[in-house]
Amino acid sequence: MICAGIDAGSRSIKVVLWDADRLSIVASAAVDQGVEQEALSLRLLQSLLQSQGLTQADLGAVVATGYGRKLISVADATITEISCQAWGVRQRAPGTRSIVDIGGQDSKVLRINGDGVVEDFVMNDRCAAGSGRFLEVLATRLGVRLDALGDLAGRSRLPALISSMCVVFAETEIIGLLAAGTAPADIVAGVQASIATRVAAMAGRHLPRPITFTGGVAMVPGMEGALAAALGNPVSVAPDPQLTGALGAAILAGRRLQGLRTPAP
Amino acid sequence: MTDSPRQITLHEWDRRYDELRAGGLCEPAYGGPLRRHVDQGGDLRLAHLRLDDSPAALRLWNFLLTEDERLAQARAAGQRLVGTMKDLGTVPVMAYSLSNLVAFYPDGAWWIPCLMQGSDRLLQQADALGIDDSFCPVRAMLGAIVDKAHFPIPGLFTCSVGATCDDLSAIAQRLEGLGHGVFWWEIPHRRRPEPGEPSVVLPGGFAAPAAQVAMVKSELQRVRQALEDYAGEHLSDERLSQGIRRANQVRDCLGRLRRTVFTAPRCPLPALEMLIAEMLAIHFCSDQRESLAVLEALEAEAARRVQAGLGLLDGEAVRVFWVNPVADLRVMNLLEDAGGRVCGTDYLFCHALDPIPEDLPPMEALARMALADPMVGSPVDRAERICAEAQQWGAEAVVISRIPGASHCALEGAVIGEVVRRRWNVPVLELEVPPITDAMQPTLRTRLEALVETVTQGRTSIRSRRR
Repeated sequence: MICAGIDAGSRSIKVVLWDADRLSIVASAAVDQGVEQEALSLRLLQSLLQSQGLTQADLGAVVATGYGRKLISVADATITEISCQAWGVRQRAPGTRSIVDIGGQDSKVLRINGDGVVEDFVMNDRCAAGSGRFLEVLATRLGVRLDALGDLAGRSRLPALISSMCVVFAETEIIGLLAAGTAPADIVAGVQASIATRVAAMAGRHLPRPITFTGGVAMVPGMEGALAAALGNPVSVAPDPQLTGALGAAILAGRRLQGLRTPAP
Repeated sequence: MTDSPRQITLHEWDRRYDELRAGGLCEPAYGGPLRRHVDQGGDLRLAHLRLDDSPAALRLWNFLLTEDERLAQARAAGQRLVGTMKDLGTVPVMAYSLSNLVAFYPDGAWWIPCLMQGSDRLLQQADALGIDDSFCPVRAMLGAIVDKAHFPIPGLFTCSVGATCDDLSAIAQRLEGLGHGVFWWEIPHRRRPEPGEPSVVLPGGFAAPAAQVAMVKSELQRVRQALEDYAGEHLSDERLSQGIRRANQVRDCLGRLRRTVFTAPRCPLPALEMLIAEMLAIHFCSDQRESLAVLEALEAEAARRVQAGLGLLDGEAVRVFWVNPVADLRVMNLLEDAGGRVCGTDYLFCHALDPIPEDLPPMEALARMALADPMVGSPVDRAERICAEAQQWGAEAVVISRIPGASHCALEGAVIGEVVRRRWNVPVLELEVPPITDAMQPTLRTRLEALVETVTQGRTSIRSRRR
């Protein structure tokens, strides 16, 4: 039976189709988020189903997660991204004991026990400094595409020091650095280090290893290294790191269909 | 009376009130439909809350929301008003031992911006006086005193200073700068006694050097004198001891209520009403005798529901220990929507919940009480008390609700969280709750739901491991 997971995030919508019998991903896709969150989600789901020769009637269950999850009326259940990330990572990176997820508007750190169950978590609070939003602000200010930031950071020789913990104030610092002639590559690397430092501070001490890095920001070249440096620990980027939330939602939809209580390891 | 308790909207309360009246509901003089607080009092937030449907809860809300009228009536009847700031429970005990004083808690104005959904503009008035949003929302008190549209301005303000909240000290100093005399008294930072140093065990279990207790006692003696001078009346030790016994009746009743609610298999009273009820211990809502009656009615309702096996939430609701009061009352509803229930609290004044020792000279007892304030000691001490109480109540998670701008919250939350995780290994969630959270409801809901999911999954994991 095919199940779907929809992750209606703040920056993008991700959908994963999951074969609950074969325990494998059937298809996945992502689009940018917009005002019409539900319509966008439905359109993405339908196009994904169509690409597999399926219709909505073929779906056994749908679980929505992410910031906009309550808006997805096609979902049979909503589950927070904390639980869904844990399930998605468990599938893609078994044995993980900590997850660092940096998305468009928020970041979170999850501690996972030996059974793969979330023990505790922290999320950023009303501040975008440790999130992808910081990179968006930077890209706009530098006049480059978001996906070009990683390559730019790779050319940095001396990352700039960004002292502000607030995106709004940091933008002022970026303007100052540009005015002082600092190379854009060094500013990007400095911002990456700033995001990583912020997230590491939120994670606190003694983050259990292995640590898996997820979320859209994990796809930005240079962030993995910046995070590892800030945490003082090696970090592995999950395969398709932006999809782990949607994958977890799809897996939980499958378990729901099979009548399994959610966390049984 | 319906047997199944529910949390209902204000709209549903309109009909419920009519039903109760038709059924012969007897109300105190301040009773009446809750709707009037919105229509006449401007307490718009009530229309966005879900409220317990019992007559006891109706009485609680009416009691809370008529405090300004009660104060005005007291003044008209010739009684003198004292605004007791920051002591969170100690000075009112002295004031209510004198026959013609009515003490109240101006700091309580911090909920006005929430209740009136900002239409009061108290925070903007505080901004204009230089107390901006880098301070705790208790700055609304300053606006309320300046615009005189809320509580009557008391003839005497008292305020503790020293190891107390920096924000409140700054706000009270600004108040004094505006010409409102403040009687200041000092409370030192409670430190752990040195080895061999004479020490005293305080209510709640903390220890303090005997010299610090003596210092606080002498400060409280000054407050006592100020109250006597203001009242024009001598306060004997005997009358003060009687006052302590009356305060303890309130604390005892609240203690029984908390025990009943926190230990019941199904939650018999909502977190929101329990938050309001706990506040009565520190200020009596300007009527000590009536506050006891209000609490007794709640206690009876909770006991009735427990005995009948009734509750508001299912028995699987996640048991949460809640740290710090919320600036937006709606967040207490949100916890229950997310599948949690409150089982244990530290709303910054747990010293006001402990019985005041009755076997000591009264000033010694009050000094020990004041020094037991969780905010005047180390956050580690506070965290240890939280751990002990949370375990006692069987809580499965801890929520630390930060108050934006509150200087103590910025540091305390992290310390409490770390101690709880280390000592007890339960999930800890930190939230920041401003006076109006409407725009933040999705993110707050996500965090609370994630906490509930984490505990629920942990329970299932343990069960499967046992299998």
